[in-house]
Amino acid sequence: MPATLPRPLKLLLDIGSWLLTVAITLIGLAAFTFFIGRILPIDPVLSIVGEKATPEVYQRVYLELGLDKPVWQQFYEYVLKLLRGDFGVSFSTSRPVLTDLLAFFPATLELATIGLVIGVVLGIPMGVASAYWHEKWPDHLFRIVGLIGYSVPIFWLGLVGLFVFYYKLGWVSGPGQVDVFFTGIVPRVTGFILVDAAIAGEWEVFGNAVSHMTLPALLIGYYSLAYISRMTRSVMLDQLSREYVLTARLKGASEFTVVMRHALGNAAIPLVTVIALSYGGLLEGSVLIETIFSWPGIGNYIYSSLFSADMNAVLGGTLLVGIVFVLLNMLSDVLYRTLDPRARSAA
Amino acid sequence: MRLYKALVAVALGAVMTATGAIAATPSNTLVIADAIDDIITLDPAEVSEVGGVLASQQIYQPLVSFDPADPTKITGVLAESWTVSEDGKTFTFTMNPNAKFASGNPVTAKDAEYSIRRVILIDSRISFIFAQFGLNKDNVEQKVRAAEDGTFVFEVDQKYAPSFVLYVLSSFTGGIVDSEVVKQHEATLESGGNDYGNAWLKTENSAGSGPYVLTKWDPKVSILMTRNANYWGTPPGVERLFLQHMPESATQRLALEKGDIDIANKLGPDDIGSIAGNGDIQVLEGVSSTMYYFGLNVRNPALTPKVVEAIKYGVDYQGIADTIGKGTIKVHQTMIPDGFLGGGINYNPYSLDIEKAKALIAESGVATPIKLATVVWNVPPYPDYAQAVQATLSQIGVDLDLQVVDGGPWLDRYRSHDLDIWFGLWGPDYPDPHSNAKAFGNHDPSDPDGTKGNLADRFGWNSGKVSDLVNQAVQEQDVDKRKALYDEAQRLHTDTSPFVFMFQDSRKVAMRSNVKGVVLGITFSDDRYGGVSKE
Repeated sequence: MPATLPRPLKLLLDIGSWLLTVAITLIGLAAFTFFIGRILPIDPVLSIVGEKATPEVYQRVYLELGLDKPVWQQFYEYVLKLLRGDFGVSFSTSRPVLTDLLAFFPATLELATIGLVIGVVLGIPMGVASAYWHEKWPDHLFRIVGLIGYSVPIFWLGLVGLFVFYYKLGWVSGPGQVDVFFTGIVPRVTGFILVDAAIAGEWEVFGNAVSHMTLPALLIGYYSLAYISRMTRSVMLDQLSREYVLTARLKGASEFTVVMRHALGNAAIPLVTVIALSYGGLLEGSVLIETIFSWPGIGNYIYSSLFSADMNAVLGGTLLVGIVFVLLNMLSDVLYRTLDPRARSAA
Repeated sequence: MRLYKALVAVALGAVMTATGAIAATPSNTLVIADAIDDIITLDPAEVSEVGGVLASQQIYQPLVSFDPADPTKITGVLAESWTVSEDGKTFTFTMNPNAKFASGNPVTAKDAEYSIRRVILIDSRISFIFAQFGLNKDNVEQKVRAAEDGTFVFEVDQKYAPSFVLYVLSSFTGGIVDSEVVKQHEATLESGGNDYGNAWLKTENSAGSGPYVLTKWDPKVSILMTRNANYWGTPPGVERLFLQHMPESATQRLALEKGDIDIANKLGPDDIGSIAGNGDIQVLEGVSSTMYYFGLNVRNPALTPKVVEAIKYGVDYQGIADTIGKGTIKVHQTMIPDGFLGGGINYNPYSLDIEKAKALIAESGVATPIKLATVVWNVPPYPDYAQAVQATLSQIGVDLDLQVVDGGPWLDRYRSHDLDIWFGLWGPDYPDPHSNAKAFGNHDPSDPDGTKGNLADRFGWNSGKVSDLVNQAVQEQDVDKRKALYDEAQRLHTDTSPFVFMFQDSRKVAMRSNVKGVVLGITFSDDRYGGVSKE
């Protein structure tokens, strides 16, 4: 038996090694994005000064961006700044990238979270039902629903959704986060429009924001539902064919207990990872959804920055998404340990 | 089964919670939908993107302006009158005593001096617009100055047509800022120099004399402008202008029909077509000076004058305008756009004539098929135009090797003229014909590759007489004579140049029918909202 470390020390080591992994991941990500940015056939200087600027102006901006230095040195300086928490300044907004991220990310986070809740709340029961009534009509129905959500282009669904529910029926509000009437009424506290409206007690704005958010959130929800229900179905099919299910039934457990407690309880472990990853995917922001709904989210921010070669903005955005994935991974690890008694005892 | 019912209930519940939408914009606010995520600055000394120009057009005013319906009519704005010296090199402006800034300060020659100088002094990306008059950092303080008697003096390096100088000063680059206010916000650059208030004016503040002031620019999201309480002209009929980022044409169309926006600036041909029958919507037609063309690199020995002419007969101009353009473009085969001085000559000598084109190629003696490396941007409508041209040219023995590329390589190949044909567009930088005439007609023997922006040289063409004509025109003091020179230069250019001008954009801006008083500009985005009201 090797000498066991005292508990606090072990915890410290665990945290240390985790931090190291995270640091390596993020620096790798930054390096990858940085060098890809340098290979891209977009000239950042030209995208600032335009095609017709004089050579002197070109040169000034070239030097301002530090492009005269070797790429390695540029990267080294970038990382040094990063370690001080400085993401640099985006030339397209003239603001620190961190300010930009704080401005654009909440809109995506809010939409993605609601979308994910819809996806989980509806997707898991659908998956369970599909597996339980395997090859019966509920299974067929839910699989078709899932297949449509997964395969129909989301921009098309978005436009059709706008046409039907906004234009024709008038059930929901159109593009943007709130009506122009309500723009700028609510002071920005958290950046989440619903939370801010609630804090300010502006319930009319809150209602308007809900109305604007409904359609994009439902679409994103539908999209994640499609994935989650399919995954739930396949995991549940596997669990329901296990012997413990038969044992539970033989012992006289009710069908509800067998399916919801035993089988779903076991299926929950892999599903946590599925949900965490699909949440991560939603948090990257959907450029298509954000474009159609004029949603000021992170997806469009990174996308339009990339097209103007605004590399500080692209790097900042990419790192943010990377951090989100790392955090979600950590969260799913923690949940994993809580849900799985074997993982708990091994720890 | 219970599970299933629960599911349906939840789904329905989610839809039901959505409240009904209020479909109308506030009556005191004009909501304009546009794509504004490309704007990087609102400082008039460097503004250049479409949306940025649109905003600064409402906030800042130039010394002089012109009537978009008749550009030969140049009128004073912040300047009341002006004189040109005998030698044509010194312009003296008497300032308008009534004009004042949003701060309440009167507009003086000192402000004009400061505003024009700072374009040069901050090394702005659009400094080339003024630098073409021989202005640089060393001489700008001497050549651009407020005189003792309160007039503003603008000296140029040689004799130019006065209309040329005035048009340039009328452009967005010539917007005058409140020097007293801006000087209070000057900052020091990292290099130690003065930023002349650039950082202050760039994103958050304005200091103009126009009908609106900047309230808030939320980059990539919206721009809010509020009525200038101190405006010295007739106050506009709406309290606020709200420029909303809405990049998708179909979305703009729905929002416009629904009444959630007042003006849709980015409607594609399909969407313009489909709102035609809606009585709540009016479509304003204006000119846009953007032109679509392709240039032939005549360094390629196969591109002899006969072959170039054959290619001009091998394009189905009207067909493309009708089927692809659907009313958003009109056939235009000369280098100066309609709406500009010298434009509107309606000289469109070419149409699709396969037999004639074939005969010309046979005469040229060049062996067919002629293979030509063709570069086009991968953004609509360029590839559509290029493919249509490719289809008809293949019938006359000219094969286009169409390379559809990203914006970066597209411009790179153009600059390094490493191609045979380049499909692109041209938008003038200021509302004077010289912007186009210089690019397409001027020949500079000292710069054979056109690195300084002479496209004629870039495409390997010695423009000869055309060059003489355009250089004569830019110095001609008499407006009518100047116009006649451009007439002659354009016809010769269209007949002999390796540029195939195809179309000029016809701008169609859709708006709610209760919106009155919008004046569409003549360059890409100098629309004027100063006289807008909503009924």
